[in-house]
Amino acid sequence: MQTRVVVSGIGTVTSIGTGCEPFWNNLLAGRCGIAPVGSFDTSSYSVHRGAEVKDFDGKAYVSKLDCDSIGRASQFAIAAARLALADANLDLSMLDPERVGVTIGTTSGEPQMIERFDDAAESGALNTVGPEFMRFYPCHVIAAHVASELDLEGINVTIPAACAAGNYAIAHAFDVLRSGRSDLMLAGGSDSFSRITYTGFARLGAIAPEVCQPFDRNRKGMVPGEGAGILVLEPLERAIARGARIYAEVAGYGLSCDAHHMTAAHPLGPARAMEKALEETCTKPEQISYISAHGTGTPTNDLIETIAVKRVFKDAAYRTPISSIKSMLGHTMGAASAIEAAVCALAIFHSRVPPTMNLQEPDPECDLDYVPNRSREHEVNIAMNNAYAFGGNNASLILRKIEA
Amino acid sequence: MARRVFITGAGVISSLGDSPAKLHTALCEGRAGLRQIELFSTEGLGCHLGGEIASFSPNNYLGERNFRPLDRTSQLVAATAQMALDDSGWTVEMRSQNEVGLVLGTMFCSVHTISQFDRRALVAGPAYASPMDFSNTVINAAAGQTAIWHNLRGVNSTIAAGSVSGLQAIIYATELIRTGRAKAILAGGADELCFESFYGFNRAELLCGSNHSPGDFPIPFDQKRNGFALGEGAALLMLEDAESAAERGAHVLAEISGQGSGFDPSRGADRRKSIATIARAIRLALDDAHVKADEVDCLSMSANGSVQADRNEAEAAALVFGARAGTIPVTAIKSMLGETLGASGAMQTISLVEAVRDRTLPGINRLDTVEENFPLAKASPEKQKLDLSNGLINSIGFDGGCCSMVLTSCA
Repeated sequence: MQTRVVVSGIGTVTSIGTGCEPFWNNLLAGRCGIAPVGSFDTSSYSVHRGAEVKDFDGKAYVSKLDCDSIGRASQFAIAAARLALADANLDLSMLDPERVGVTIGTTSGEPQMIERFDDAAESGALNTVGPEFMRFYPCHVIAAHVASELDLEGINVTIPAACAAGNYAIAHAFDVLRSGRSDLMLAGGSDSFSRITYTGFARLGAIAPEVCQPFDRNRKGMVPGEGAGILVLEPLERAIARGARIYAEVAGYGLSCDAHHMTAAHPLGPARAMEKALEETCTKPEQISYISAHGTGTPTNDLIETIAVKRVFKDAAYRTPISSIKSMLGHTMGAASAIEAAVCALAIFHSRVPPTMNLQEPDPECDLDYVPNRSREHEVNIAMNNAYAFGGNNASLILRKIEA
Repeated sequence: MARRVFITGAGVISSLGDSPAKLHTALCEGRAGLRQIELFSTEGLGCHLGGEIASFSPNNYLGERNFRPLDRTSQLVAATAQMALDDSGWTVEMRSQNEVGLVLGTMFCSVHTISQFDRRALVAGPAYASPMDFSNTVINAAAGQTAIWHNLRGVNSTIAAGSVSGLQAIIYATELIRTGRAKAILAGGADELCFESFYGFNRAELLCGSNHSPGDFPIPFDQKRNGFALGEGAALLMLEDAESAAERGAHVLAEISGQGSGFDPSRGADRRKSIATIARAIRLALDDAHVKADEVDCLSMSANGSVQADRNEAEAAALVFGARAGTIPVTAIKSMLGETLGASGAMQTISLVEAVRDRTLPGINRLDTVEENFPLAKASPEKQKLDLSNGLINSIGFDGGCCSMVLTSCA
């Protein structure tokens, strides 16, 4: 009998709430975290808005490591990990640290460290960049910092699969638990707001000037954001034995690669990822009761994604609620699909699906049920979480209700 | 019964040659790929030595094409992938009918590309930053670009675990094949030599010569060692599900039979913990492979000339193998390639595959005097003859991560 893996704890750091409960409540209320960018000067850009996490206090979560030294993505990840453990009502001292691992997805790692390097180099002061650059910059430090802070000795991997990274990290943790190599995994994603990312998306003409309105006829783009989402994953039997509250089961996943274009999506890759996830979990499309969309809000993504969903789901596509929380959180990069996986688990647990906000005028080419502007009571037995990334990296995750 | 994972091909581009056989020959001859760096200026830095690939040109491997969309790291990976695909017999036609995956371990992908993109925006204004370069600033850029180049539509994943990334990527890919999620995956790693990372390692005083002691060569396990040399390269192995490899009549080079990994949360501060963690990863790998400690016939060490890490690795081996540690042939190829970061674990794997084929294990270049009570008595600057059944590969990071893998001969 194969090990079944469940989500028993959720921790989130987002622009609309830190911690599972405030986040979920704000999400259902349709609160939007998009505001003028505060972390750097955008006056030389043609766009000025982002979804930053304001008032984040890393010191409230980082105690063993030096909070001022480590980067913002590491701080987010540690905060989300601690929140997830508290949410899971878990005392780590009850576990064998050798059998607790960490997998974290990210797009940029700790970009402020290289931005600081570049600022120094361009102002002729490179000598002010010291040993801290190598210590705190490479992206694998995110998972390493979480494990160091929490004294975890199991498998430790950062998966920089860009905007689908969170799903990749959860998928890998799922395999590690299934193979019996760990008793518990902290899995998710983290990214911090970055000048480099903002510049790049601005140059691609991909950033919306005001609001993020996925699937709307007049959608103008994505909005860069930041945050972290970490899930506590453990075998079902262990969760039951300790009387844990179980949000949902991670049923399986599918990964694929477009092998088509670095930044332009293609519907076949996403469709193959969905099909693999359905096949692995022996699920028929009509059994899926909620889809968390990648839904960035760019004209192309939302169209390609709609085409891909229709291709896989056929008629059932029109009967399956699908929403994009990026309408509220912006695009939190490597964290996005981890936060969205948390949302799938919460939707299953609470029988409620979050809305796609700012959807005012339907796009005739995007004609599915995007849960516009208002959350909905809806029994979710099986949810699919889709994520697509630069490099044509696609990942679909399936979560389902644990039968009582 | 779990699926078995075979290696059916390999490709490598390194400072010591651009094929597994060339690399192996150079390693066995004790040639070092380390020389004065020419890619960028090292003026004012304590170390000037690097394992640079001289005059790398992607045309030599991929034909006359437009390489402008690919940065140096992506070019290295795409070229290496071509070699591994050719070696394993995965033709264009086969790739159009079957999914082949790619799992790439990397520490930086290209911190040079990232920095250049940012600096252009800083100097000229954000409107002058190049959108094409932006797509290469993501850390999965090389994996994505290579997939496009070779039509690799299977799993595409990038693994970051510092200098352990390459071996960790092979472990990750092995797991995907064992679970039945993939039949064929190119797995390995890559990192390029560039000013940004070189500067960083130098400031961290990790390079030989960067800590103000004489800038000698990096000599793993030697008394005089004072740091590593930074190298570069790409190394990929074709990993296949044993049954499907047999079905298509693939030539099998070796089997990946076991793997283990661990993390030391003290990240080196607690020496005993570091050693215990390395030993645990080795034991996990042996258990996973159902290989007993006394069935291991050689060790490919991660040792790169670092003062503390080399010692820890040797002591961990002594913990696992006991007195037998003194009788097992040992190699440490970073003495010649330098520390190739994300590529290193895959380079070690290819080196060991070649050692199986040629029945010869490279020596540890320039090794002269080891420390007192050094447990690995068979460490030597000379190559040695070897009939390899089970080889152990270690990969140990700068900041807590480590993993080990057992390679088993199929002969």
